[in-house]
Formats: sequence, structure tokens, C-alpha cells
Amino acid sequence: MDRSWLPATRSRAPLPRFALWLLPWVLLLAWGGYAAGLCLVRGLNQTNMDNRFVFGLWIFLDLAIIALGAGAFVSGVLVYLLKRDEVKDVIGTAVVVGFACYSGAIGALMVDVGQPLRAWFTFWHPNPHSMLAEITFCLTCYLAVLAIEYVPLVLRHRRARSASPLLAFQFELHHLMIVLAAVGAFLSFFHQGSLGGLFGVLRGRPFAFREGFAVWPTTFFLFVLSAVATGPAFLILITRTASALTGKRLVRQGTVDFLGRLSAWLLIAYAGVKSLDTLVWLNRTTPASGFHPYQFYSQPPFGGWILLTEIVLLALVPGLILLGKARRRSTPWLLTGAALACAGVTLNRFVLTIQTLALPTLPVDRLLLYVPSWQEVATFAAIVAYGVILYSLSYRYLPLFPHEEEAAAAPPVRVSGAGPRPPQETRHAA
Amino acid sequence: MLPELFNPLGDPVRTAFLGAFYVVVSCLAVTLAFALLRARRDLRAGRADAIRWHEEFDDLPEARRRCRHAVSGRLPGRVCPNGFACGGCETHRTLVAGLPATRAAEGSEGGDVLGFDLPRARAYHRGHTWVEVLKDGTAWVGLDDFGTRLVGAPDEVTLPAPGSVLHANGPAWRMRRGRAQVRILSPLDGKVVETGGPDRGWYLRITPPGDGWDLRHLLTDGEVRPWMLREIENLQTRLAGAATGASLADGGTPVGDFPQACPEADWEGIWRELFLDP
Repeated sequence: MDRSWLPATRSRAPLPRFALWLLPWVLLLAWGGYAAGLCLVRGLNQTNMDNRFVFGLWIFLDLAIIALGAGAFVSGVLVYLLKRDEVKDVIGTAVVVGFACYSGAIGALMVDVGQPLRAWFTFWHPNPHSMLAEITFCLTCYLAVLAIEYVPLVLRHRRARSASPLLAFQFELHHLMIVLAAVGAFLSFFHQGSLGGLFGVLRGRPFAFREGFAVWPTTFFLFVLSAVATGPAFLILITRTASALTGKRLVRQGTVDFLGRLSAWLLIAYAGVKSLDTLVWLNRTTPASGFHPYQFYSQPPFGGWILLTEIVLLALVPGLILLGKARRRSTPWLLTGAALACAGVTLNRFVLTIQTLALPTLPVDRLLLYVPSWQEVATFAAIVAYGVILYSLSYRYLPLFPHEEEAAAAPPVRVSGAGPRPPQETRHAA
Repeated sequence: MLPELFNPLGDPVRTAFLGAFYVVVSCLAVTLAFALLRARRDLRAGRADAIRWHEEFDDLPEARRRCRHAVSGRLPGRVCPNGFACGGCETHRTLVAGLPATRAAEGSEGGDVLGFDLPRARAYHRGHTWVEVLKDGTAWVGLDDFGTRLVGAPDEVTLPAPGSVLHANGPAWRMRRGRAQVRILSPLDGKVVETGGPDRGWYLRITPPGDGWDLRHLLTDGEVRPWMLREIENLQTRLAGAATGASLADGGTPVGDFPQACPEADWEGIWRELFLDP
């Protein structure tokens, strides 16, 4: 039914099957929309957050998806500033995923902060001494960058292309992507870092507090590094999952190799720097605050296993997995490595938000318990569903993968006398 | 009361912080404005068709972007980097310079290719149109035999009005059959002076632009046969589907109306691929 809307040279699932795939996600989105509506209309009493547990599931989700969406700025820098052409295979996916992550994060923030009609206030009366002000400005500006980067992708749709003004605009905009990539890198560096720095400066939360350089605690740099390391791994995970679902190879192996190798080295570097930071924190920062580090890990379920899991199992191990060429070429190993890396950054953000707030800071305190309400869970699920729907629609209707057809093409029929073939085709000849 | 955003004489931290974001926002605004201005300039210069072809060419699968010299076997595997604009291609110029004898020998193979009539007097565009330059300096543009059978009996053909200006690789006319429709690419730059149609054997008669005809990007002589064989292969691949295993060689002559003979196929998809309309 939607044949004329589909890219001609790429096969897509029949519309009923696609609609069936979307249905559960749409239901999830509707459920989350209802829950978010309740929170906006009735207030945050719909959640299980309170004056002490002020950051819950939503902030954890925000931090996690912003880190996972870092693939957008990393691939933008690689393609437009460093001229790594092989990364063009995933640049479309990176933009869509980045846009979904950042718009989803801002959507969750709007529900969390409440009063969205007064959102302008933070821009009109900013407090530049607060890292939150920088985060607000950076997130908004970077979402604008991602939206502008998404526009040429949408305008490349064959229906939009038939309108000459739109065609010329997207063509010229595409030629200015280097500016957007540079602006995106600037913004991403600072807001990824500030999201970490936000916790690192909390002297009243010795579990999160870190020393650092000038005004930036070490968590600022660790957040940047972990996001840059995980972004490419998340792109691998997304594209390989899409490949598995569609039965096609969407990205060339060379691109996967490059992204995997990049992610591997960065993850290993992150594991090293994080270990060093942890050692300094255990031996200097925490004792100077009057705490014994053991106290932080003696509150079940937050034991020392979390620290070990975060650094070894979910940073060093995926780094080593993705470092080996043979393992990068094995789909199970590749997916395992990429998934562990993504789980690692997610756990790190969980520790910085939920565990930090749960741990007692005074002798009279006890471990705080926080279980999100169904409204929080539903809103969380809606953000995930929104991302899946946006990516599915983009994959179906837009030219996301420039090298999709070659891998998907059926073996050509050989016609007698058709002339010499290039070597790569000869392999497939019937 | 002025908002704090516009009070740069206060705190220097505030000034630096807001200044950085003013720069970022200005960058984005200037980028958008610059893109709009350049787009307007492109449209005024009549570059829309060239841009459209540039974008469409990028969207074609690699197999459809093969260099003419890859198709004829001289440079196996080469993908055209120029959007089939052979006139400005150094590789093409070098290869053609050393070819006259070979081309003459290959030229004897023209005419009929597995039942498709491709007269040697015509030059062919890879979007399945042909050009025949007439003695009066104008040229006929038509759909080649393969393209004609591919479409069969169209329900509607939308031709440009006489006086319209065509650009090479830009849209020339549109065809519709049932709900499937496709645009056919113009093989040349030129101005339409007369329109024909499926019944007249040609679709358009055009006059050349000021600097005369440039046919360098069109396939002629010995290049036509290997190209057409590839096109037949592509069609058979599309019609065979993934489920078809090893098959015996076929034979016979092609029917006149492919969609009628094989109505269950995805003809819009096939048209758009073979007529280079991604």
C-alpha cells in the first residue's frame, strides 16, 4: 500500500507485517503518554520520588540514553572532520539514534521538571554557576543540531525530493554538515562532561564526590570518555539488531571493524582511567571526607561487586572482546561485546544517580529505598518505544544505509555472453 | 524588567557562559541562512535537475552505478564517481582515445540483443532512453525496446509541453500503469519542440542547447550489447525472487508486455530500479 513511499531499490517488509511490528510499541507509547499526562496534570505525587530521592528512573534514563546517543557526535566528527568515509555507512543511523535519544531525554526531563509551559524560564534567567544551566543549554542546542542533521535525511525521501526548493535546501545543508559536526562536538563534550560533573561536585555526597582539574571533577572527563567509547558500540548493536530483524547485512564489515576497534581502545582506556580514579577516591578523597570506603559497599544490595562489574566485566572485558579481529567478525562475540559496553555505561549512570542518592550521608541516615511507580515505568517505556518507532520508520522510508542493497541482493542470474564480471560479483554467480 | 539573559555587564562568568551559547546559536542560524541562500541561488540558476540527479545517483545501488567501462569489461568493478557525466571524466577520455579500432569491431555486434531491437544508429542512456540526431539538427528521444516492453501498455504518459527545457539526467516524462508510476530520465540537455508518444515510436523531439549536442555520456556501438545483457540479468534476478534455486537456461524471444505476462511481480519497484528512479 505504501510502495510508492518506499526506497525503490531496497526491499521492505509488507505494510501489514510492519504495522504488526509497530503495534506493541505504539501501545507502549500510548500507555506512557497517559502516565506522563497524569504526572504533568497531577504533579510528581504520581511518582515515588520525594524530597530526598530527587533523581529517579527518569534521570537515570536521561543519563543513560544521552551516553548511548553519543554515537551521533562521534560519527559526525569521524565523517565530517576526520574524513573517515567508511563511517558514512552508519551516519544515518547515528543521526536518527542521536535524535531519538536526545529528544526522548528532553521529553522525560519535561515530565520530571514539570510545568513545561514555563520551560522558557531557564533560558530567560539562567544561572551560569550551575552545571544544570550548562546542561540545559547544551542539550537544547544539541537537539537543534541533531534536528538540523535529521532534516536532510528526511528531505532525501523521494516524495520530498520532488519539490525542488526542499531538494536544493537539503543539498546545500548537507554541504554545511562540517559546521554542524563541529558545533555538535563542542556541545556534546561539555554536556556529556557536565552531566558527570554535576555529581562529582556534590561534596555532601561523598560517594559521588571527586577531585579534579580546575572546576571540573574527574567524573566530568570520565563521562565524556565513557560516552565516546560506548557510542560506537551502541551503533554496532543497533545496526546488527536491525540486520538480524531484516535479514540483511546493512553495514560493511570494514565499518564494523573500525567502530569496534575504536570502541575497544576507548573502553580499555576508560577502564584504566576509571580504575586510577577509583584508587585515588578510595585512598584519598573518601578518607579526607571522614568516611571509610567500605561503608559505601556494605549496604546490600550495593556491594563491591557493582564496582568490579562496572570496571572489569562491563568495560575491560568488552574492550578486550572488541579488540580481537576474529571476535569482531563473529556476530555472537560482536553483539556480546557491544551489549556489555552499553550495559557498562548504563550501570555507571545508575550508580551515579540511584546508588548515590540511596546511600546514607549522615550517621543517623539509613539506606533509602526507591522503587519507581508505574507512572515512572510507563514513561520510561514510552521513551524506549518512541525510539524504536522513530528508528523503524526511518529505516523503512529513508535511505539510512548506503550499502544496503549490495549485501541484500539475490545472486544474479547469468545471461550467456553478458561479458566479463568484476571479481566480487564472480563469487556470487550461479 | 530586563531578563538576566540580556545583562552582559554583570557577572563575567555569566557573560562568558552566555557568550559561548550566543556563538553556538549564531552558528546554527548562519548555517541555516547560508543553506537557504545557496538553495535559492541553485534554483535561480536552474540547477534543480542536476542536484536531483546527484542525490538520486547516490541512492542507486552500486550495481546500478557501474562505469560504462566496467559494464563492457575494460575496467571490471569500477563504480562511476561522476553521475554518468563521462564528458568530464579523465578515465573515460583516456580509454576512448585508444579505442577506435576496437569499437569499430564491436560495433558489428549491435542491433538485436537476445530479441531486443537496439538500432546501431542510436545512442542509449542508461535510464533506457535513446537519442537519434536528425538531419535538421534536432533529435528524437524515445524509450528503448527493453524499456518499452518493461512498461507495456501505459495508462497515462505525461509529456512536457513544447518549449520546456530538459536537462540531461533530469526528468523528461512520466508514465503510469495502474497504480505504478515512474519518471523517465532525459538523455540530453535540450528544448522540446514536438511531442510524440508510444504510438509514434518516439516521445520527444528536442533542439540542442547553444553549444550543440553532447553525446559523450551515452552508450554507443559495442557498449550497448554488454549493457543490455546486464539489464536483462537484472530483470531476471528481480523476477526470479529469492526463493528460486538453480534454473535451466531460458530461451525464446521476449514478450511485448512484461507486466501483463507476469502481473504478480513488483513492477513499480522494478521500473524504479531499471529506470534509475530510486
